[in-house]
Amino acid sequence: MVEGFITQVLLQPLGIYVVALGAGFLVPLFDRAHRSSAILLFFLALAGMVAIAGINLLAILNGAAPIQIETAGIAPPFAINLRFGLYEGGFVLAVNSIALLGALHWLPSLRQHASALLLYLIMVMGINGMVMTRDLFNLFIFIEITSIATYALIGMERTGSVLAAGFKYIIATSVASAFFLLGTIFLYYLTGTLNIDGMVAQRELISGPIGFIATLFLLTSLLIELKPYPANGWGLDVYETAPGGIAALISVGVSAGVFFALLKTLPLLDNYLSSIAVVGGATFLLSNLIGLKQDNARRLLGYSSIGQMGLLTLALAATVQLGIEAQLPLVAGGLFINHLLAKAGLFWLADLVNRNSTRDWSVLAGRPGRLLLFGILLSALVGLPPFPGFWAKWVLVTELAAGGLYPWITVVLLGSLLEAAYLFRWFTQALQTRESDTPDTIRLESLLPVALAALLLFATGYGMAVQLESDTLIMFLPLLAGTALWLLDGLPGLLKSLLMLVVVAAGGAWLTLDLEGLNRIFGFILVGGGVLLSLATQYRSDVRKGFYPLLGILLLSLATLLRAHTSLEFFFSWELMTLSSYLLVTLGRGGAKPALTYLLFSLAAAYFILAGFALAYAASGSLELAALGDTGSSMGLVFSLLAAGFVIKTGGLGVHIWVPGTYGEADDDFTAVLSAVVSKAAIFGLLLVAAQLGIRSDIGLDPAYVLGWIGMLTATFGALMAVFQEDIKKLLAYSSMGQLGYIVTGIALMSHLGWVAALYLTVNHFLFKGILFLAVAGVVLRTSERLMYKMGGLIKNMPFTFVATMIAIIAMSGVPPLTGFGGKWLLFNAMMEKGWYWLAALAFFSSAVAFLYMYRLLHTVFLGQRKLEHAQLREAPAILLVPQFLLIGIIMVFSAYPKLLLEPLSSAISPWLAGNLVWDGLSLHTHLGYWNAPMIMGVVAGVWMIPLLFLLLMSLTLKIQKVGQFNIVFAAERPHRPEDTHFAYNFFAHYDRALGFLVKPRATAFWNSIVEWSHTLAASLRIFYNGNGQTYALFIVMYLVVLFLVNGGLQL
Amino acid sequence: MIAEWFGRAGNFSLTLLIVTVYGLLVGAFIERTIAKVQGRIGIPYRQPFINILKTLVKRTAVSHGIMFYLGPVFRIAGGIGTLAFIPVIYGSETFANFSYAGDLFLVIYFMFFGQLGMALGAGESGHPYSAIGIARGLSQMTAYEVPFALAVISIVIQYDTLSITEIVAAQQGGWQHWTLFTNWVATLAAMLAFLGMTGYSPFDIFLAPQEIPIGPPTEFHSAYLSLLQTNRALFGATKLVLFMNLFFGGATGWIELMIKTLAIYMVAVVVGVAFPRFRVDQSIRFFFKIPTLIGIISIIYVQMMFTS
Repeated sequence: MVEGFITQVLLQPLGIYVVALGAGFLVPLFDRAHRSSAILLFFLALAGMVAIAGINLLAILNGAAPIQIETAGIAPPFAINLRFGLYEGGFVLAVNSIALLGALHWLPSLRQHASALLLYLIMVMGINGMVMTRDLFNLFIFIEITSIATYALIGMERTGSVLAAGFKYIIATSVASAFFLLGTIFLYYLTGTLNIDGMVAQRELISGPIGFIATLFLLTSLLIELKPYPANGWGLDVYETAPGGIAALISVGVSAGVFFALLKTLPLLDNYLSSIAVVGGATFLLSNLIGLKQDNARRLLGYSSIGQMGLLTLALAATVQLGIEAQLPLVAGGLFINHLLAKAGLFWLADLVNRNSTRDWSVLAGRPGRLLLFGILLSALVGLPPFPGFWAKWVLVTELAAGGLYPWITVVLLGSLLEAAYLFRWFTQALQTRESDTPDTIRLESLLPVALAALLLFATGYGMAVQLESDTLIMFLPLLAGTALWLLDGLPGLLKSLLMLVVVAAGGAWLTLDLEGLNRIFGFILVGGGVLLSLATQYRSDVRKGFYPLLGILLLSLATLLRAHTSLEFFFSWELMTLSSYLLVTLGRGGAKPALTYLLFSLAAAYFILAGFALAYAASGSLELAALGDTGSSMGLVFSLLAAGFVIKTGGLGVHIWVPGTYGEADDDFTAVLSAVVSKAAIFGLLLVAAQLGIRSDIGLDPAYVLGWIGMLTATFGALMAVFQEDIKKLLAYSSMGQLGYIVTGIALMSHLGWVAALYLTVNHFLFKGILFLAVAGVVLRTSERLMYKMGGLIKNMPFTFVATMIAIIAMSGVPPLTGFGGKWLLFNAMMEKGWYWLAALAFFSSAVAFLYMYRLLHTVFLGQRKLEHAQLREAPAILLVPQFLLIGIIMVFSAYPKLLLEPLSSAISPWLAGNLVWDGLSLHTHLGYWNAPMIMGVVAGVWMIPLLFLLLMSLTLKIQKVGQFNIVFAAERPHRPEDTHFAYNFFAHYDRALGFLVKPRATAFWNSIVEWSHTLAASLRIFYNGNGQTYALFIVMYLVVLFLVNGGLQL
Repeated sequence: MIAEWFGRAGNFSLTLLIVTVYGLLVGAFIERTIAKVQGRIGIPYRQPFINILKTLVKRTAVSHGIMFYLGPVFRIAGGIGTLAFIPVIYGSETFANFSYAGDLFLVIYFMFFGQLGMALGAGESGHPYSAIGIARGLSQMTAYEVPFALAVISIVIQYDTLSITEIVAAQQGGWQHWTLFTNWVATLAAMLAFLGMTGYSPFDIFLAPQEIPIGPPTEFHSAYLSLLQTNRALFGATKLVLFMNLFFGGATGWIELMIKTLAIYMVAVVVGVAFPRFRVDQSIRFFFKIPTLIGIISIIYVQMMFTS
């Protein structure tokens, strides 16, 4: 009998109500006995609700039929019926789980009032009802139950602002409910039933003026409950003031219920799909725009919540419009579960941190565990991998493209970018330590629900990956390795560094050694080069929390990037690389702010790439990267979008403003990896799309020609900007930007020789920029300075570093006989061959300008007068020098025998662009010229040795005297302070006078004004939020009127 | 193989000797000419040789460090190397030097080799005037490089080769085939750039030879200075040979070479005597205006004339 009750009733979906109502009834009784027993019962009930939902969902996933529940044993339409299918099961399980975690989080407050426990249960049950019921009137009842319970829970906090917000909430939801009831009445009038399925079956009866009004009321009510812009001020006030526990449930639970109500009544509202999409899209975009102005943490979350619900609404409407309901679980389900877990987690965290202003979240600075949780939740919300939002957005955007709904792609991506801007600005504020901060008092165990939400995000993300991709294990390998390394983060720094190197070397070799062609070459640069440069991380022995796991993830994600066969795999690894490199930049001293710029530009780049891939999928119907070329007429657009994305990542002119800050403020050893290795991923991407698309004759040459100009202008302006830098790392940052510009131009040439030049320059840039940044790391380590004029004469203390720097600079400059010359020669030949004469002239100019900053770096740091306080400095640590001299060795080999490098490069390109390098022995011939590197090396060595021997011979007879620092012919005076004598500050003042006008920070000004305009626009959009409940009610009514007019109400 | 190398090295030594001596003599000739213009007697022809010898045998020498020591070595290696990559006499295997190691592009980039090394050596001396001179010189270089590059691109389009030998070959058969006449626009742009390259007034501020000991060589003396003085003559003559090859039909014999190079040099000298000195920012602006415009026109011109 009891067993029967359990299996027949309790474990059935209906059991959720039985448990909720039963517990609700018993809680006050138990409370009389003991509060703890009531709480125990409360949790048992919630756990039971989770369990019932879970068991039944599992059964359905295993193939059981959806469960139809008839109440009172009578079939509909004479009684209410409920349904528990796949969608219902998923929603109910998710909501109940969050409710359980939320209760855990909210326990300290909940246990104050027994009635709170009761209300909480009723509220959750109400949401369950909204999801499961198939009866329109019953849906109304459940909406009311939920609203009233919510209102009561809000009211428990007896402060003025909470009560005011709660009052506005009840007014708004009452108006909405009234609309709902009116709509229900009219529908009943038309169809004679209250059963939704019954109404759908008689859809044709719902027509004419009454049908229009009926559905309009229903729609308006549901939309209002979803808090559309601008009729959502009441919702924001609640999010801002209500305790985190309840705000979380409103944001994810109640909204989920309403969303599900919209989902199930959608067949009745099929005339309004466009309106629904517009409401959702506008709300998503505008909420995220207004969010930019917000610095109250909870209200910020409110904007984000409303935005996310808008996105869900848009996704729902678009999916139905496109007739791809089969994708609904992935798109809407993914977005929903992502929002549910991330947003709930964030509301709870906001509750625990308990700081209103986002600036005050700096209390989290220096607490890696907390920041990690915070970061995971934010990343999920923004839609970064591996979380569900990433997969859902991917499917949404690709399907939108396939359906030709291009404007919505713009809305989705722009809104996401805006959301990322304010969410990660918040993260940035949390990263920055402030003097005034008092340590937070969060107890570790109270973080448990937040941590569980984060874990669930990973689990659901992986679940979605399995649905979408076959190669998930390889894609997740970087994350697994990173997690393993993170678990060992307590070990000493050097050991962790070693472990990371072993893991990356082994994993990277396994992932990349079987690659072929271009991918193989990039495998050597990205993985091999990454490991080689990361050797230098051993120069710091401190703990560096989080550094090694993130570096491991970054380097391995570069390896998986090379393995990608589909655009989804590529994009996944790409975003993983973006995220991990962003986090690594934040670890640098002062890196938090520039990292934000870096992230935003990287995300913008990623969204261009996503749009390009989506468009390619729409045109070719395939996600294979190899099918990028089958895109027919959209080829030019696909190429332009993808190229734009990759160019942003190389720091192309105009979108370069992230470069100096990022390279300047990242950890010194990591900057080497970032510039020498990570930037090459963008080159790889560009080459990939060029190979698939750019070389096609039917694409038209124009995009490539534009790309060529962008590259060369970047080279020129990068060099010009580097000339005027005082900061050594920023100088090198601009230099990187410029050098990558040449590579971009090389790729844009779309010729065999051009690509050989591009690849050669890529390898060369890796070699010399790796050396330079590591050398600079040594200099900064010893001097604790980055401003070059504060150094000088360091050749005496750091001769090895000087030699390494000098060789790297010669290799960069293009002066024979080192590798740089080959790059310049190949590029020049390729440009002349193509007839790009103006670009060739510009290349001459920019490589001449580059001499200025190269000399400046060598002179102001290593030559000239040494500062007195630097007299005792030691040479850089050996572990920094070892990778530098290994790289020098490679430079020397390639300088003398470039054939070793050029042959593999050429054969990797041959499948794409036919053409062979013509060798005559060791001499390379092009149409125009010839280059015999070994002979040049020999001649240069000879002509260099002869005067040297002569001078040495002379030195035997001369008594050459070593003189002290200030012993110079200085207008008959002896200088005594290096500060007076070392010519370093504003080294190229005259150049500034002549050409400085070219490098006024126009791009920075432009992007700043974009930010300013966005903020102004956001501010003016906030005009609707005046805090007045009456106004808010008026807006709701006006919303109805607008929907009425827009949908042709006057034509009836 | 070895014998072949030694043979070439021997031939090149001869070229080197002739060009260096010629360079020193031309230097003296120019000094005398200028002096005459200014109403002075000027130096005897032997003076440059005496100068080098004098500095070479100076008994005192100081060093500021290893780069300082190597600076002049780099400088003269740059001069010798540049000459080594240029075929000096057209049609002569003996005086073709090592020009088959690389083309015009190699020569242009190798010209920086000595400048960079010298700049490093001067930098280590710790003398601010050296650094100022280098900063000025490099800045000016970026400016005259533009019309020069445009002119070079123009003639590369014209002759469809980067090989200096082939460029000279294409100008054989009479003066009317010289680039000067076939592509006078490019020659004009290049000659304007040449004014900057020679470092005569009005583009001589980076050395400021008359009034103060400024510029890269400030701290160099004794044997170092003798190397630099030798190089100045050698490198100057080398640049003249390059310009002769590119724009004035090259030379089939030493006499022709000397006449042509002297004539080319006189352009810089005449301008130098007639015009006062520019500040660096002024000279940069100068090169970016008319000379660059002429350079641009030269490419358009050559495309209209020689490609169809």
